[in-house]
Amino acid sequence: MDKKILEIKNLKVSVSETGEEILTEIDLEIGSGETHVVMGPNGGGKSTLVNVIAGRDIYEVDSGSIKFKSKDLFDMTIDERSRNGIFLAFQYPSEIPGVRPWQFVKAAVDAKRKANGDSELSVREFSKIYDNNLKEINISADLMKRSLNEGFSGGEKKKNEIFQMMMLEPNLVLLDETDSGLDVDALKAVGDAVNKMRDSKRSFLIVTHYQRLLDHIKPDFVHVLINGKIVESGNYDLVKKIETDGYESFS
Amino acid sequence: MSYIDHYKKLIEAEFKANKNFYFMRAVAPGADYFIENGFPLKKKGNERWKYLDLRNVANSNFTKSIYEERISNDFDSVLEKLASCGINIVEDEILIVGDYENHLSGRNFIEPEGIGASSPSKTIIGEIADPEEDGFIALNAAVADITSFWIDENFSQKALNIVFAGQSQGDRLSTERICIKIHANTEVTINEIHFDSDFNTLNIPVLEIYLDKDAKLIHNKVILGSEKDMNFNFTRVFQEEGSYYENTSFCSSPSIGSNDIKVIMAGQGSECDLRGIYFTNNKAQFNTHVTVDHLAPNCKSNQFYKGVLSDESKAVFSGKIFVERDAQKTYATQKDLNLLMSKGAEIDTKPSLEIYADDVECFHGATAGHIDESGLYYMMSRGIEKEIATQMLVRGFADEIIDSISDSKIRKFASNQTELILPSLSFK
Repeated sequence: MDKKILEIKNLKVSVSETGEEILTEIDLEIGSGETHVVMGPNGGGKSTLVNVIAGRDIYEVDSGSIKFKSKDLFDMTIDERSRNGIFLAFQYPSEIPGVRPWQFVKAAVDAKRKANGDSELSVREFSKIYDNNLKEINISADLMKRSLNEGFSGGEKKKNEIFQMMMLEPNLVLLDETDSGLDVDALKAVGDAVNKMRDSKRSFLIVTHYQRLLDHIKPDFVHVLINGKIVESGNYDLVKKIETDGYESFS
Repeated sequence: MSYIDHYKKLIEAEFKANKNFYFMRAVAPGADYFIENGFPLKKKGNERWKYLDLRNVANSNFTKSIYEERISNDFDSVLEKLASCGINIVEDEILIVGDYENHLSGRNFIEPEGIGASSPSKTIIGEIADPEEDGFIALNAAVADITSFWIDENFSQKALNIVFAGQSQGDRLSTERICIKIHANTEVTINEIHFDSDFNTLNIPVLEIYLDKDAKLIHNKVILGSEKDMNFNFTRVFQEEGSYYENTSFCSSPSIGSNDIKVIMAGQGSECDLRGIYFTNNKAQFNTHVTVDHLAPNCKSNQFYKGVLSDESKAVFSGKIFVERDAQKTYATQKDLNLLMSKGAEIDTKPSLEIYADDVECFHGATAGHIDESGLYYMMSRGIEKEIATQMLVRGFADEIIDSISDSKIRKFASNQTELILPSLSFK
């Protein structure tokens, strides 16, 4: 459990275009197999944090460092980060006209296997895993005949993100408000899928406003992010404190 | 000597050799118009062509290609060229290549049922493509190589393939005119394929199509261009009552050229679907010009075009929906979407509506933009390299058109051509 998968030190981030500071001081360590939750009010920098880890280039890192599996994350492109085991479940997944989910996920899985020196899966092998995972997360095969995320409901998009996570088997999963837009059943399906994937080699960083997803996924650590700064860290008890006292009690 | 004098001589020589009096109704006005006006070089009052630099077209003095140069005298080499593109003409298909003396010929063309050469007195030449509409059509009319035929409901072949093999010598002018009369209640698929040429050539093919009552034509068009050839491609269609016309064009741009389509919806209850994709690169200039004239009530037309522009190329889309006063209950749409792959690429898209009827539904829209950055981020966040992700995005953009090509061989052909184009498309 001790091995650190992610080490963020003194991270300062602003928006490239406007220079607006979003993250003022972030220190966060995530160990292998741990599940962390970052909670906080809107505009506090939660989404920025996970997008900076994934590599979104609209942000400027002003200072600090992020190490992933002891490697400097800022030396890696977005796609390299993914192939090395980082996965971001998007808050608003893009719609990609004309690209079929099957083809998309196959390209992603192939790219990762190639980078790891593994041979490409045959269509048959791939399809078997693909179909099984679809079934497990309960996405209809018909939906996946459309263009990627086109005509998907909010909940279906989120489930599709979790499905892609299952296909790519990452080491570090970033869930960006995956609970928003989910009905009770979908929330449970997502929770079950995540729990099933929790093991000693996989860590989760979950970003959310509410505790409802945390009823399904019990985190090991909880952090409160306000105004670009982690103001308090603790265990699950902190979630209850937020539920009763709100975020104002932290400022 | 100005280029017009050059072509005047050419026209006069053709006149002397001219074989048929009946063609004169298109030939003579075309000749007069061209000698008077030349190519549409003027910028002023020339909405259709003003965005293209046509000086190169006028700067060379092209000589008329002869049949043997334009297409090989046997069909085998054409078949070979097609086969290398995955198109095999099978037994239930016909291949024709514009013939020289208005005889139909080609593979599998041994008196098939339901198709035949129109007698010269019955040809529709000049009736649909107005020889005075435009300098290019006028020149085509003046020195046209005419193939004129009809198809009726006994026609049972799967498809008719009209192949332009690409000229094998430089400084040549090709002016094919294909006139097709499709009889009532006839359903037919026509695949029109233009191969590129490695030579400085000027190609002005004109297809003139008449659709009688309740006829249905699926027209797939592929234009392949090179950095040297010029291709000004015209399709003129006349629709009678209840007829259906579908045109899907795949254009990989020549150095300069156009895909110019005009549909006259003269019979009520007729419908047309016009769509296409154009790829332009290098310094190519390509004009997609689509006009639908709604003359009769209860007709429906859709225009849907997409462009992928790279390097320093330039594309023009000018789409027009014209609705005559009597054409009530018209439903017409028009859409043109463009993907700019480089900072130097340029699109001029100009939708236009001219409506004189009051009970109509018309929609139009045009967009131009770069690759969707958030889509690219999304794909890369799944481990897909930027270049591959870009190609997948372009492919996805193009597939909406390519997937709608109903002839499976042509669809595959267009798909393969797209694969060849994609690697050059990473954003510059």
